Amino acid sequence: MTDEPILSVRDLKKHYPIRKGIFNRQVGAAKAVDGIGFDIAPGETLGLVGESGCGKSTAASSVIRLEEPTAGEVVFNGNGRGGATRNPDGTHPNDVTRFSDAELKRFRRGAQMIFQDPASSFDPRMTVGGAVAEMLEVHGMSDRHRRRAIVEDLLERVGLSATDYDRYPHEFSGGQKQRIALARALVLNPDLIIADEPVSALDVSIQAEILSLIDDLQTEFDLSLLFISHDMSVIRRICDRVAVMYLGEIVEVGPTDEVFADPQHPYTEALLSSIPTPDPRSTVGGIELAGTVPSPTNPPSGCRFHTRCHRVIQPDGIDVDQSDWRGILNFRDRVAAGRVDVESIRENVAVDGGPASDGEVGAQLRTEFDIGERIGDPEIEDTLQDAIDRLLAGDDEEAAELLSDRFTTPCAETVPERTVHSEGHESSCLRHQREQAAAPNPADD
Amino acid sequence: MATQKPERFDQVDWAEISRSRWFDLSINSIGMLATALPLLIVALYDWQILDERTPTLEPVGPAWDVGTVDYLFIFTLLLFAFYIVLPLFQNPRRTKYYWREFKRNRPAVVSLGWLAVVFVGGIFGPFFISAPEQSILTGYQPPVFLSVEQSYVSTCVGDIVGGQCQGTWQHPLGTTAGGKDVFAGIVHGMTISMQIGFITTTIVATVGITFGTVSAYAGGWVDELMMRFVDIVLSFPTLLMFLLILYIYGAGLGMFILVFAAFAWGGTARYVRSKSLSISEEEFIKANRISGASTYRVVRRHVVPNAASSIITQLTLLIPGFLLAEAQLAFLGLGDSTIPSWGQLISAGRSDLSFAPWIVLAPGMVLFLTILAFNFLGDALLDALNPEAEAENA
Repeated sequence: MTDEPILSVRDLKKHYPIRKGIFNRQVGAAKAVDGIGFDIAPGETLGLVGESGCGKSTAASSVIRLEEPTAGEVVFNGNGRGGATRNPDGTHPNDVTRFSDAELKRFRRGAQMIFQDPASSFDPRMTVGGAVAEMLEVHGMSDRHRRRAIVEDLLERVGLSATDYDRYPHEFSGGQKQRIALARALVLNPDLIIADEPVSALDVSIQAEILSLIDDLQTEFDLSLLFISHDMSVIRRICDRVAVMYLGEIVEVGPTDEVFADPQHPYTEALLSSIPTPDPRSTVGGIELAGTVPSPTNPPSGCRFHTRCHRVIQPDGIDVDQSDWRGILNFRDRVAAGRVDVESIRENVAVDGGPASDGEVGAQLRTEFDIGERIGDPEIEDTLQDAIDRLLAGDDEEAAELLSDRFTTPCAETVPERTVHSEGHESSCLRHQREQAAAPNPADD
Repeated sequence: MATQKPERFDQVDWAEISRSRWFDLSINSIGMLATALPLLIVALYDWQILDERTPTLEPVGPAWDVGTVDYLFIFTLLLFAFYIVLPLFQNPRRTKYYWREFKRNRPAVVSLGWLAVVFVGGIFGPFFISAPEQSILTGYQPPVFLSVEQSYVSTCVGDIVGGQCQGTWQHPLGTTAGGKDVFAGIVHGMTISMQIGFITTTIVATVGITFGTVSAYAGGWVDELMMRFVDIVLSFPTLLMFLLILYIYGAGLGMFILVFAAFAWGGTARYVRSKSLSISEEEFIKANRISGASTYRVVRRHVVPNAASSIITQLTLLIPGFLLAEAQLAFLGLGDSTIPSWGQLISAGRSDLSFAPWIVLAPGMVLFLTILAFNFLGDALLDALNPEAEAENA
């Protein structure tokens, strides 16, 4: 019972229906969160990291049921609910997604949330003390002196003074407001706090203060934390374990040290390389992810990261420079989408004098897509040049067809499964899956 | 209490607290109940037990027959006292802040002063100045310091100097053709105007805010249905409706207030809905929902107060419309001729404009100033109560 996780999320999905037409027919869904799962042990901090728009915040609000999840299970064992066993029909009595209103209200005392923007997370017409005390009032504490005493004590604990009770939110700085937000989240004495980018709106020195405050409070009151951030350095500072999210899925999860020292998923690598290092000679970094996060309405097939992955797998029979390969795939996708504007490139090249020759335009295209002047494999080179020529001749469709036929990657076809690298460190990348299939014993990894 | 070490948040026994739940009322609600209940009892007694012709307060003395409009008026005054004035005292810091902001707008301060005069005059004036009475003999008395040709006046109260009847302090603003004192008429008209202002505002605010927030929070087809109903209310020809009622039932002040208020809340409802929608997207609303608070509580404690600045402004700008409508109907002879409203006074003087302009001008000026004051006030309140401005000035 003691190793029971305080929060256990399984296959959580949140899809936003997209409706069109006068009959409001559902034509699709934005899959903001698409089947994520993780556990948080008592007293543990799990970091959830990923770039903007990958569904971190949606995951948080689905877990705490600020929004109704589409599917999945969120089992919350805190709040004196521990030790429950599954019902005969397979549902869990502690499943937050099935809580009744009364149970949900009780759950609010067990799990609270801190929001990103301290400026807008307080009612401008209510004193901050009133805002914190309201939590107590909502849960039935009708003695206003008692409420005030508790809140004043708590305000002091988060580094403010009791006299701040009667002040209004606009009288505080961002960092102070985030302290008050912490007080508000704490006042009901929850077991779990979900912090949705709690420090990303603050400047760095304040960030450090708030993070150490969170750390202290966590130790003192034995809190579990789900800490959401896009900032890897913040994650490293505070989290015990980290889950990396990309486009509604968790691609890698593991102990923070291990993930930072030995990232297994290319996306984690890219995120880690984005941390600025103080060492000017450092060669770490420089992985640039091309493009933006694909639309969650129509996520890429296979591995969702393959459209941007710098380690995208080359199919059997192709062996070229990895950056050329990435460039070729980008070129293929852009041509297929009809978004390569040959005319404007031609004009740009022509500025230096005289109309540009096809060769110059072709070279410019290669530079733009980061493809080398000549590719090692002559057959590939021929195909690519052929496609460029056709494109320049205005034959877009044929060029697209040629590229799509010749250049494919297994990443787009197979959905990668979880690979276990070591105790608690898992990732979903096709490369590992292949390696493991080749190696007989995964424990050797 | 002071010597006791404060209780820590993590020592609270929630199981015990959630068991011992009881309904707790704020001091405002207690005050409201304590005063509104007796009022209700008196009203019921007046309605059911007392003989229709006996003035309500005869058993205790004054011969004041309290009418339906008066009951409503007193009720709205209680609401005003307990939910608008009292909170200003409960929150002195905020009140001071509002006052500082409000003071910047000088015309608005003057307007507030004028409205205070109208308010106090309207409530206490009738107790000191008796209602204007018909007295044909003293008709067309000029206001003090002015004079009128003797031939127009049957009996001049003041002196007659060179064939001109001089005004006296007995009738500081002169009298009408029927000999009614214009000043007394204006003071009693203040009561009527305040009644119109307060009762309509209460009705419009209650219906509009309820309708608007319910619509915003219900969403979907309920929202659609409610808003289309608002469209109907807004496009309804109120004046024609009023005329129809007038011809069938006859229309007193109460009916006027009811009909005009019943068709005026549409704009407020629509406004409140859009405000609620934008406020409900704010992060602090999420933070409140996560506290476990019910939707009703979130709306009442957070959404409405944050929309309040614009709601109050909108309502202040609505009152002049009602006052003007009353005056217009009275001028056209469609109003309640038994009440001493400003409109009635103006309409009483319209045929004598050539030689006795004071009958029209005095109440006309008062009406004009009052309407102007409401408009200035509305503008200034929007600036003073705006929470965004509050944040910027911090």
